[in-house]
Amino acid sequence: MSHEVAGLPEGILGHHFSSLARQNEAMRLGMWLFLATEILLFGGLFCGYAVYRFQFQLAFAECSRHLNLTAGTVNTLLLITSSLTVALAIHFARTNRQRAAVICLVLTILFALGFLGIKAIEYTEHFHERALPGKYYAFEAVKVPGSAMFYSLYFLMTGLHGLHVVIGMSVLAWILWRTVQGRYSSKYYTGLELGGLYWHLVDLIWIFLYPLLYLI
Amino acid sequence: MSESGPSGRAGVALHPGDLHEEHELSAIWYIAVWIALVFFTFLTWFTGKQHLGTWALFIALAIACTKSVLVALIFMHLKDSSGMTRLVFATSLVFVALLLFFTVADVATRFRPATPAGAPFGTERSQPEGLLEHEMPE
Repeated sequence: MSHEVAGLPEGILGHHFSSLARQNEAMRLGMWLFLATEILLFGGLFCGYAVYRFQFQLAFAECSRHLNLTAGTVNTLLLITSSLTVALAIHFARTNRQRAAVICLVLTILFALGFLGIKAIEYTEHFHERALPGKYYAFEAVKVPGSAMFYSLYFLMTGLHGLHVVIGMSVLAWILWRTVQGRYSSKYYTGLELGGLYWHLVDLIWIFLYPLLYLI
Repeated sequence: MSESGPSGRAGVALHPGDLHEEHELSAIWYIAVWIALVFFTFLTWFTGKQHLGTWALFIALAIACTKSVLVALIFMHLKDSSGMTRLVFATSLVFVALLLFFTVADVATRFRPATPAGAPFGTERSQPEGLLEHEMPE
């Protein structure tokens, strides 16, 4: 149930929209509403973090110093750079340079894989040191009340964020396929733009997680 | 993109400026923002390693907020977005701020027996001797 617009692939403009501009605006607004719920979802975890960091300041500082700061910093740089490549992919699609857009999206997915790889190495270290959440905590290096709580929050926050990285990567892979098919151009690129928005949100969350977890 | 489609629904044609104008930033902008983000990452890494005490959290959050503003305005195009999308984003931030403020205000004003075992622990300076061997809270 859609009508055609000159120069656009079939099926892009829904019949219930009077023009593509209105549809694009509705799509954008819908995406931002979804991002708002994501911010509130992570907001709950940040709130829990604030409470327990206030209660167990020493434990949080001690545990934070046992995290792999280099890994955290490299991951921050990877996510920031992947945000750049997504922004550039949208820019190139908008200016009808599909090949450049495809290269940027491939780079983004590679950066995301790099991020997950480094996170996996960190998690392996925690499991070997038994720096685990709640009652499974048996980390020899830090024995301060509240350190189990730090690792509970650490695994919850980085775990939920990691899940978002995986989802974002899958969305970007799908968008990459559609870019290869040539569906995005200066006439229509909203699908690509919305996938990019999701990826930037993943980056935004990490921008806060990095100093709060690694740099106490 | 302000004309109606070829399906002839002329009655709903948009006026110029009805929806926000789509104009494209040059790629230099994105690269400039990326350089700023890398700079701020190293700045927060450097200041974080100094363990500046009371100010550490404030500085770290100030840098993180600056980075987020750059990402939201330029990468996420909030700079050129319609007022509606900005309002949605701002509203979510207001509610996270409310959540954080009232929860932290509650915890900060509790008397000691109402806090979890071993808390509040405070900083190293106020650390009473022997409390480190305290039983771990589950």
